[in-house]
Amino acid sequence: MYTADIRQPLVTGGKTYSDVTKDVCRPIENKPTPSWWLGFSIAVLLLLLLAGTLAWTVWEGIGTWNVNKSVMWGWDITNFVFWVGIGHAGTLISAILLLFRQKWRMAINRSAEAMTIFAVFCAAIFPLFHMGRVWLGYWPLPLPNAFGSLWVNFNSPLLWDVFAISTYLSVSLVFWYLGLIPDIATVRDRATTKARKFWYGFFAMGWNGSAKSWGRYEVVALILAGISTPLVLSVHTIVSMDFATSVIPGWHTTIFPPYFVAGAIFSGFGMVLTLLLIARYVMNYEDYITSEHLEAMTKVILLTGSIVGLAYITEFVIAAYSGYEYEQYAFANRMFGPYAWAYWTMMFCNLMAPQVFWSKWARTTPWFIFIISIIVNIGMWFERFVIIVTSLHRDFLPSSWVMYHATWVEVGIFLGTFGLFFTCFFMFAKFLPVINMAEVKTIIKDKE
Amino acid sequence: MVDKSILLDNKKFTVGIFDDSDKLLHAVKTLKEKGVKIFDCYTPFPVHHLDHALGYHRTNLTIGAFLCGMLGCLSGFTLAYYMNVVDWPMIIGGKPQDISVFTSFIPVMFELTILFTAFGMVIMFFARSRMIHGIKEDLLSRRQTDDHMVLAIDNDENQAISNDDILTLLKKEGAIEVNNSKEAFNTSLTSEEELAKLSKKPKAPTKAKTSTKKPKKK
Repeated sequence: MYTADIRQPLVTGGKTYSDVTKDVCRPIENKPTPSWWLGFSIAVLLLLLLAGTLAWTVWEGIGTWNVNKSVMWGWDITNFVFWVGIGHAGTLISAILLLFRQKWRMAINRSAEAMTIFAVFCAAIFPLFHMGRVWLGYWPLPLPNAFGSLWVNFNSPLLWDVFAISTYLSVSLVFWYLGLIPDIATVRDRATTKARKFWYGFFAMGWNGSAKSWGRYEVVALILAGISTPLVLSVHTIVSMDFATSVIPGWHTTIFPPYFVAGAIFSGFGMVLTLLLIARYVMNYEDYITSEHLEAMTKVILLTGSIVGLAYITEFVIAAYSGYEYEQYAFANRMFGPYAWAYWTMMFCNLMAPQVFWSKWARTTPWFIFIISIIVNIGMWFERFVIIVTSLHRDFLPSSWVMYHATWVEVGIFLGTFGLFFTCFFMFAKFLPVINMAEVKTIIKDKE
Repeated sequence: MVDKSILLDNKKFTVGIFDDSDKLLHAVKTLKEKGVKIFDCYTPFPVHHLDHALGYHRTNLTIGAFLCGMLGCLSGFTLAYYMNVVDWPMIIGGKPQDISVFTSFIPVMFELTILFTAFGMVIMFFARSRMIHGIKEDLLSRRQTDDHMVLAIDNDENQAISNDDILTLLKKEGAIEVNNSKEAFNTSLTSEEELAKLSKKPKAPTKAKTSTKKPKKK
């Protein structure tokens, strides 16, 4: 294949195959660094906060949250959509970019997929506990039950969500694990301790890298990518239908599916950048995650941020043009009502801030990208907060208008899910190869 | 752990070890031309066109995947139709609950199609490649998952050509190491002494060591 001379190499530093193995296996084969311990301890503390606040919610009841009539979905569903959105970048990077033959994905797909899986874990907590009686969390499943033949309602987007998210989680896990097998085998064959030999041997499933297996493996990976692409688009589409199929002004919008999918990719890339910039710095992976990778990802941020911004404006224009006063009021209330500060935070973070990536300097300066990635994460949380809370807090009947503020329990659960997320991520960085060695070895001589 | 030992057990191999995928590919082509039967190649990463050069056909797993997907799609429809139309129609707001609400079954049918395809295909892949948790691997070189590529020729399959000729050919093609009586070994059976050596020197064993590999336990 012809590659233009201006293309930069995908892996810098003149790495050999053996260098790739050594660099990627280093964290697994050595004792954790002090910075790992510091990060891990903070994450575990937050995880304890999650356990505590969830236990308190179950013990005392859902009344420990401020969700009530009018605002029946508050921080919990905001957080749910926030985490599910973050969980979109992994599969997007490994599936869609594989179909588009974007080779730069290879250095980052492993960690992005891991992030996807952990984010979906975090997301699942919220609807489960929002049900109030979490021990009855199996009720949305289509199971035979003791109430006559009362089945789940297949006309409800909430049920579609159950199917979509559980499918997404399981397929992402399979995709991730399949990609890990050759690398686990590499760790197994370098192992110097009995425990490592046993466990990596167990999970490597006897992989020996035969050409026959690789042939099948590549076909399976391609088909998985092919089916994961519509899957990843379907998941956030269905999440958006939780809102769009209702009759609430501000939610009842046909542009929700593409708007939510773009937002999910946007927030997912924001989180991938946040994590990778830290990982790259702490683990010295600058030769693998080069500034070319950062630039490619910031371009995706710029594109999806602009799509999201366009959706905000379209939504507003459609409301203004609809001639439907409740819809018009919902949007006027977003911009100038008591939650205007949240709306303008969202507008600044998602629409304006990413526009700095038109500049080459901004796209290639790690510390600056890090700041913008944090802003994107904040902005996308506020997007969901604005959609959910401002649409609900002033409904059709002014006598039921309320203001909603989260309690410490709701805030604690949200912070706690970061604990869960980062605990999983630190464990992943310690025990599994963060970079897909087998794939990176195929591109060390290639250009972008 | 269970022994894999189906493919490589009790065989003597002539192997050429390469450190460059292009050289390996070229060697495979040359050997094929000379009429040498190649058993298989073992590489740390997928080498493009290698399966083609070895004369392998494209896998039929895709057909299996398609069938699994169809099954998933049908299951989704059956599930929704049986529960919501046949067994217990839930009439909400006087709306019909029959085949005319088919469109609202589509999301579930779609998700189950994907779920069945993914799991069905991956399970078939594992079965076809004889992979299962806890199975022991068969290796011809410890570095075949790191940075070496192994070209394996089954000695029994190549009586017509003299072994020395094959070795010369392999060397000429740029093999960094050749061996004509290689047996498969298993890293999970590595002896205690070798473990001790490895932990002192984390670098993978070099050429000299590969010939002293412990033979596989029966």
